[in-house]
Amino acid sequence: MFFPEAMTEVELIVPSKDLLAVTKVLGNQGVFHQIDSTYLGLENLGPNTWQEKAASYSTLERRIQVIMQTLNLKEEYSGVSDFDSIADLDPIQSAVDRIEAEVKKTSDQLAGEKKKLEQLESQLHQLEPIADTNVDVGALRKSNYLYSVLGIIPAANISRLETSLSRVPHAFFTLREDPQKPVVWLLGPRSNSDIIERAVKSAYLNPLTLPEEFDGTPAEITKSIRKAIERSKQKISDLDRTLAGLAETHGKELHKLLWDVHVSRLIADAIARFGQLRHTYVGVGWVPSADLELLTQRLKQASKEILIEAIPIERSGNHPNVPVALRNPGFLAPFELLVNTYARPRYNELDPTIMIAVTFPLLYGAMFGDVGHGLVLAAFGWLLSRRTSLGGLLIACGLSGTIFGFLFGSIFGFEEILPHHPFFGQFVLIQPMHSIIQILAIAIGAGIVLLNAGILLNMYTALRSRNWGRFLFDSNGIFGWLLYLAFLILIGQIFGNLLAGISIFPRFVLVIAGIVFVIGILVAVVFSHPLQHWMEEGHFVVEGGWGIFAVQSLAEILEKVISMFSNTMSYVRVGAFAIVHAGFTGAVFVIARLLSGGEDAGFAYWTTVVLGNLFVIGLESFIVAIQTMRLHYYEFFSKFFQGGGSPYEPLALATAKEK
Amino acid sequence: MGGGVTDYAAISARVRAMYAELLTPQDMARLSEASDFLTLFNSLKSTAYGPYLEGLKDKDINPRRVITQIKRKLADSFYSVIQMSPVQTRPLVKQLYRYYEIGNLKAVLRSIMTVSAWNAETGHWDRVREVLFPLGSTTVLPAQAMVESGSVATAVDLLQGTPYEEILSFAMKRYSAEQNLFPIEVALDLSYWRRLWAEAKKLTGQDREHGVRIIGSLLDMNNLMWAIRYRVYHKLSEEEIINYTLPFGYRVQDSDIRAVAAGADIASVITRLYPGITDVSALLENPQTGLPKLEVLLKRQLMKQCLAAFVGSPFHIGIPLAFLVMSDLEVQDLIVLIEAKSSNFPADEYRPFLLKENLLN
Repeated sequence: MFFPEAMTEVELIVPSKDLLAVTKVLGNQGVFHQIDSTYLGLENLGPNTWQEKAASYSTLERRIQVIMQTLNLKEEYSGVSDFDSIADLDPIQSAVDRIEAEVKKTSDQLAGEKKKLEQLESQLHQLEPIADTNVDVGALRKSNYLYSVLGIIPAANISRLETSLSRVPHAFFTLREDPQKPVVWLLGPRSNSDIIERAVKSAYLNPLTLPEEFDGTPAEITKSIRKAIERSKQKISDLDRTLAGLAETHGKELHKLLWDVHVSRLIADAIARFGQLRHTYVGVGWVPSADLELLTQRLKQASKEILIEAIPIERSGNHPNVPVALRNPGFLAPFELLVNTYARPRYNELDPTIMIAVTFPLLYGAMFGDVGHGLVLAAFGWLLSRRTSLGGLLIACGLSGTIFGFLFGSIFGFEEILPHHPFFGQFVLIQPMHSIIQILAIAIGAGIVLLNAGILLNMYTALRSRNWGRFLFDSNGIFGWLLYLAFLILIGQIFGNLLAGISIFPRFVLVIAGIVFVIGILVAVVFSHPLQHWMEEGHFVVEGGWGIFAVQSLAEILEKVISMFSNTMSYVRVGAFAIVHAGFTGAVFVIARLLSGGEDAGFAYWTTVVLGNLFVIGLESFIVAIQTMRLHYYEFFSKFFQGGGSPYEPLALATAKEK
Repeated sequence: MGGGVTDYAAISARVRAMYAELLTPQDMARLSEASDFLTLFNSLKSTAYGPYLEGLKDKDINPRRVITQIKRKLADSFYSVIQMSPVQTRPLVKQLYRYYEIGNLKAVLRSIMTVSAWNAETGHWDRVREVLFPLGSTTVLPAQAMVESGSVATAVDLLQGTPYEEILSFAMKRYSAEQNLFPIEVALDLSYWRRLWAEAKKLTGQDREHGVRIIGSLLDMNNLMWAIRYRVYHKLSEEEIINYTLPFGYRVQDSDIRAVAAGADIASVITRLYPGITDVSALLENPQTGLPKLEVLLKRQLMKQCLAAFVGSPFHIGIPLAFLVMSDLEVQDLIVLIEAKSSNFPADEYRPFLLKENLLN
């Protein structure tokens, strides 16, 4: 749970006769992440026929999908998962040919008619700006001295077209303004028609093409086009009915064909990625180590002569090719989603899902602390949880808000009920609006704990993967951590002096912190990269020469100090939002009192209180989510989590529902 | 201060860490001394590209696969910078990254054009995939479906709902008439750079100043090379050159592009804009070999502009942008090296095209 699932590299040597049965087991078990191992095969065995088969099934599957889309049928894979063998191509091919021919005839007619309708509507639309012009369009077409182009142009090209014609006398009108496709009219002397034509073409001006049969003024042409549109719509409706009939007739058969072809394609695809030897096939892939035993058992049942070689992969070192399977309990799914949105962990890296499952609701709840609001959010999450895993996240955040609501003594913004209650009053620890400095200080304190945890996790990951350079000299390695601790002592002393005029730490602690700070800056910032390079490569390299190195180092020192300060202070927002949350609901009560004439009762008062609370829940739940995410992604994760792992995608033949 | 210290604290540290991993001119000189492709490959394994190359099996050690793996590092750098850049600058970085998607889109369309008729050839997609930039799940292109569609028109239909739908709706009319990808590629380029420039201009303060400088310099190089190529290679008319170029940039202004389009002396325009580049006339005497060399000179100017971004205040988007541009130029250098070594070109044929090694001179 704390690390991606341990993986084992598996190599299978399968006798040709058992190939199908073995692939079927691999597909049904759904744990084998296959990698292309055709390179292991013999090249002189001729072309891989399975690749051809897979391509044929793939083409058939696409054709069936196209037919189903044409007939408005849902593309569901609804077959039985236990099949005997892959489907024969010929009967499926002829069934698809038969149905496709029947459907294509109608759908081609429909597409043609729709295109015609679209053209007519486009012509009608283009004529609108010149509808009132009493000009014979046909005559303009036949003019001897004037060359004119009426058409549509990408809006971005208009000024360039005008620039390109600056040496040629011309008139340019925008007949219809449109942010994407304005209608324009360009006129010039016929003697310059070649230049105008080239300019028009290169500016992507598409001339409006009115069919020859439409002649006369724009008003007359519009009337004729409208009649043609009516006829076209009637024809489309008839063709739609015909297609609906075909869907009724062929629906069941198409669903069965789709399933057969889909499964056959998956199997053929998988087999095509096996390396082919003279009498055997070689398959290579990854399997979660926990699933290996069961898979081995099933494979041996399917083929007595199969050879299975398993190589467990250790987490130390760099394994960019090992797929990363995160197998957290179901209730952590929303938190896993949060982690994957940032990046998928690498194989040798900590999976922060479990940590974020604790810290995310904790920080969220602290910023959204209200018993009533938390319960409403949790209830909303519960309603959502049937549709999306994010519902679970809302439930956790809502319940955390509820707990903090008890600690803050707030229920639907009422700050006086819980503190004075004989039972619940004993749980109230602090009221944000009454203890502003304390709540901000607690927030920063919590931030410091989290940042230290982040740095320690980075060191732990580096240690586990035996990356000594990162462990020692990374800015979040051991020297980086000491630097941060020294920084906290020094900054604490400075603030103590400035704000309260007190010295927090004894002199010798400050001297030690000062020395550690300087060493930390040198080791974890200035010479961090050269030292890491030295650990990994055995030699000390200063990139770009000492001059550039010195300038860069200065910038990096500044950046490091600022980032340590800003990262720490960033957590002040947790306290600030707790105060804002209380302040916001306080404002709701002030408005409610104003609207009810100073009374804490009445319809106007309670309506405002209810609507105000809903507003606060809606607005703050969103803002607080963003802030919590920010604190995790920018402040916490950046300390120890790099990500960049490749996803684990096992071969699986199960239907979508079974998955 | 645009963005501010807190916005840039994390990204600045990350970019500096990644910047330190870029190859130095000395590294590049060492790599170019490799005797053959395999030696180069082994030398590359000891650089920051190592983790990307380690996983390659012996059978996969060929120039195409190695180049793809090298590009993966660039993709990861973009991903990191996009993730960490402040919200207000993220659209600019994302748009900059879209450059590779445009490249993939062009490659997909070209691949369709090279297959005369649609057939179920199984290896076609695999071959195309090898040359695409590894954008992973960040791309909106249904590349495989496009390649397998077998026709440019059907492939473009698959782009419905993507940012390319609108741009291509105009260009496709010309494609249908001319059966040539040129209008599509030009439309994609123009739209890309317009959006990128607009995103840079949306920024404020130091972000805007540095963003416009880096993006503008990149744009200058492309815009100028387009204008010169359209005139010298394609022999396009003045009005066509104007329509196929852009009226803005950092150093190159509309008047410069219009001068090139109108037939002005290209060498004097370039020398005026880039006083450091001399002897352009000699390069233009033989455009076939001279224009690629001119492009290299412009790229070196760009690289110097990027290096300059690292001097001064570190809290702006200029540094991440400069780092990404430099990473891209580094990948271009490595591609030159890999292709040269795998084809056994003599050093004097490829060294003039290396950007970094020549910074030593």
